[in-house]
Amino acid sequence: MSATTSQNRLRCNQPSVGCLVVLLAHFLVALVSPAAWAASEKETPFSLGQTELEETFGANTPLGRFSYQAGRGLRLGKTGLTVGGFSTVEAEFLEGGERRGGLEELNFLISFDPVPFVHLFTELGVGTLAELERGRKGVHSNPSLEVERLYLDLGTNDALRLRFGKFLTPIGRWNLARIEPLLWTTSEPLIVEEVFDDSTTGAMLHGAVFPQGGALSYSLYGAYLPPLDAESDEHPARYSAGAHLEWASLKGWTIGASYFASQLENKEWNHLGGADLLWHPHRRVELSGEILFGEGSREDGRLWGLYAQTVVEVMRTLYLVGRYERFDPPGGGRAINLFDLGFAWVPVPYLRFKADYLITDHRHELAEPGVRMSFSLLF
Amino acid sequence: MGTRLLRIALVFALLAPSHLAGQESRVAVIVHPERRAELSPEEVAQIYLRRKRFWDDGAAIVPLNLPSQAPLRVHFSQRVLNQTEPRLADYWNRLYFDGILPPATLASTEAVRRYVASDPNAIGYVPVSEVDGTVRVVLQLE
Repeated sequence: MSATTSQNRLRCNQPSVGCLVVLLAHFLVALVSPAAWAASEKETPFSLGQTELEETFGANTPLGRFSYQAGRGLRLGKTGLTVGGFSTVEAEFLEGGERRGGLEELNFLISFDPVPFVHLFTELGVGTLAELERGRKGVHSNPSLEVERLYLDLGTNDALRLRFGKFLTPIGRWNLARIEPLLWTTSEPLIVEEVFDDSTTGAMLHGAVFPQGGALSYSLYGAYLPPLDAESDEHPARYSAGAHLEWASLKGWTIGASYFASQLENKEWNHLGGADLLWHPHRRVELSGEILFGEGSREDGRLWGLYAQTVVEVMRTLYLVGRYERFDPPGGGRAINLFDLGFAWVPVPYLRFKADYLITDHRHELAEPGVRMSFSLLF
Repeated sequence: MGTRLLRIALVFALLAPSHLAGQESRVAVIVHPERRAELSPEEVAQIYLRRKRFWDDGAAIVPLNLPSQAPLRVHFSQRVLNQTEPRLADYWNRLYFDGILPPATLASTEAVRRYVASDPNAIGYVPVSEVDGTVRVVLQLE
């Protein structure tokens, strides 16, 4: 059964989260059919068990070899399932006197690749497991299951793939890799945190072509469903649409452009534009930056902001990090200038310890100066 | 006479390793004999970075790697991917965040050659000296 016919048989007249779930369930049922499994079988002399990092442990089972690699998850034999995740312990010592810390992230990454043209992926968070804060007695815990991402990728062509579900909004670079084990600092830039919705629930066309010298990739997306499992304190746009275009050179630099349109409740459309850059001028140096301008989906009013970040490998596994930010918030408030200085120690690719100090030109609720530290793990 | 033999032996001893090293440094990128594609070094790089994931006929490409400390892999990564190991590790971490894993690793060049010979969708690399009729060379790297 092809994915296209599956879609045609199921029609959702009223967009809803339930419809999305039914759609995904429908695909799953189709994929576990004997024909699909037969298509995925290959006559090879041995199965592919190990990946980039060495296997940490493994066991042969009737379903094939269950193989776990640190930082790359547990592959469950021939089922096409991989289960992994990440976790972060954070601590903050702010100049205003606030002290807090705890186990801030425990998220699971689950992917299911039953046949080559299907990639089902979800990221599930379990909320705050343990938090200590100055002035509050005891350890506070607020565990809850949160669907950070849930999408289905379909396609047999690098140039055109279709994604349904809840996915990270492809604006710039940072928002697509926004978790602690992938970042160089403990805090994220204001233009990533305060301007647009982190995720989009809807559909996306995406792909890449490969002219000489690099890869040109694109994404065209739109939100047409109510946000799936949105944060209670956020007010995502009812409708949104956007595009991202990126050129990744094989010589070590990447440049991108973003456009994002959003409609808040009963209002006109807001328009946001941006550009991003990643460059490795030397094998020990990484430069990156983003700029955004226009109107975001969090608040009406024109804004603009940018960040520029430098990472230098000063010795093996130890990196110095510096970032400058400027943010002109919507509504004509005073612009904020920030400097974030710190270091990151990456003893192995799946462990990262960071500490940095945030300096601002004036006190502002969006960016409190102070020291922040984190220890994060990909598992 | 003895000194002369010793000199000859020394000359052979010095030449032999460099000759072998030259053989090892020539890398053949191999596919199944049914696969007719020709690939440039840049296309091979995009495949090994998991950006290019499908053959032209829509079949999923199965790229194969050697263990991370294997000299041939180090040479291949430098020659084709042009990236340092820490930067590559960062790259794979980002892709792992989207559920995409790096190329599968096999223990030896013999295992790579046997796998490629048995799977029309696989691609691997071995020393030129190990290529036989069971696979087809699509690219040769010095």
